[in-house]
Amino acid sequence: MSKILLVEDDEVMPKIVEKILHKEDYQIEHVTNGKEAFQRLEDTNYDYDLIITDIMMPYANGFEILSKVKNRKEGKPIPVIIVSNAGNEAMILEGFKLGADDFLKKPVIPGELLIRVKRLLIQYDK
Amino acid sequence: MEFSFYEFRYAPLSIQIAFIFIVVAITCTIIAYLSILRGRYKAYRHEKKLASLHPVIDNLLMEHILLNVELANDTPAEQVQLPVEVFRLPVFEHRWAREALIDRLIHYRNNVRGSMGEQLRNLYIQLNLDKDSLKKMKSHKWDKKVQALAELTNMNMSIADVTILPLTNSNNRELRAAARHAYIKLSKNEPFKFFDVVTEPLLLWDQVELFKIISTTEHIAIPNFAQWITYSSNKTIVSFCLKLVVHYNQLSAVHAVIKLLDTKDHYLRGDAINCLGKLKIEDVQEKLIHMYNSQPLNCRLEVLKALGRISSGKHVGFLRQEFLHSTDFEVRKHAAKSLIKNAWAAKGLIQELIDTATLENKLILKHCMNPLIKF
Repeated sequence: MSKILLVEDDEVMPKIVEKILHKEDYQIEHVTNGKEAFQRLEDTNYDYDLIITDIMMPYANGFEILSKVKNRKEGKPIPVIIVSNAGNEAMILEGFKLGADDFLKKPVIPGELLIRVKRLLIQYDK
Repeated sequence: MEFSFYEFRYAPLSIQIAFIFIVVAITCTIIAYLSILRGRYKAYRHEKKLASLHPVIDNLLMEHILLNVELANDTPAEQVQLPVEVFRLPVFEHRWAREALIDRLIHYRNNVRGSMGEQLRNLYIQLNLDKDSLKKMKSHKWDKKVQALAELTNMNMSIADVTILPLTNSNNRELRAAARHAYIKLSKNEPFKFFDVVTEPLLLWDQVELFKIISTTEHIAIPNFAQWITYSSNKTIVSFCLKLVVHYNQLSAVHAVIKLLDTKDHYLRGDAINCLGKLKIEDVQEKLIHMYNSQPLNCRLEVLKALGRISSGKHVGFLRQEFLHSTDFEVRKHAAKSLIKNAWAAKGLIQELIDTATLENKLILKHCMNPLIKF
């Protein structure tokens, strides 16, 4: 079962993501801000198969999480999907420059999110 | 008590006034505290009610919309049966509960789109929640109207022009901004029609807000802004349209912008020159130089900036002359900057100026040559 870390401060979005991804038997763990995300990653020694993160959050933003995950020297690489309201060109480019594997603008199409998650998990599993 | 009244009656006037003042102040403080406490208690009760209602709404939405297999397979929302009856709970007869449902539907729609997003909208319509929003539109309170506009915009419901257009000109800033926002988002064919009815000046902050709405709204019909540049009697609308012409690189409006160079308002003329420069209209340079000496400072600076932006290399002599002979520091600064922008045609000239210029002019040139310094 793939483990997914969801970093999202919105109240509704985690419920939606959990319902969408639960169909495929993914194990979702949810944290509400960047600080908690760092803590969870450290505690579990980055034991996640995928990270889905928002950008604008309290304490540490999505780019900081992305940068930390992608700049890790040891351990297995973890794909990161950014799901955010902020969909301007600069933000998207910044995300990809820092190593994001995908960028989805809210509101998302549930089926699209599911397919992108599946594809990345298969791609990184090889 | 009788003793107190006796004392008060025969006390000096200053004491009487002070006493009345103290009584009034204490009474007002108590009333203020009580109203704050009442407000907080009401908010606490409301929060508590919402906390018990939200899981009910979430479960219904999850079960009947988000976990709907047909919607998940992207079957168009109109082909999927919506179980409206399960949403008709007794609690939704209360207004506060219906408002909570509307808020939740909007919250969900901000997170999901596609068939599920459409189904959330269908639910809003079939539960007659749109009628609640339209009722709020008729309220005398501006905040209710703003709330209604936000709800209708988020649910992509159309609003009659006759209802919304007067609000785009409201004296209340919040309501005006919400109405303009809603009009741009909801009007499919003429999202900028309210430019025709705006009589109040469009403040700079309004322009920033509008620009944000226009540039972030998808599938918006962009009109030719030349119509307002030519005919609008509201100068701020003309000025804003000039900025939009630049943003959309609307070359079809150039003729109207050139005509605006003859306006008597020098601020508007400055904006027109700025627009032409940013659009890099080479043909207009002769006219700008011809009119230069008769212009006020703001227009002259815009002419110099435009020559730099167009960077045709044809007028380096003019820029050199302004740089060397003007007594105004700003003029020399912008002439220098534009000379640097024309460097491809004036390499020798710039070197000559550096070698022969006064200390101050040399500093200006060096400053302008630094690519990290922008002005």
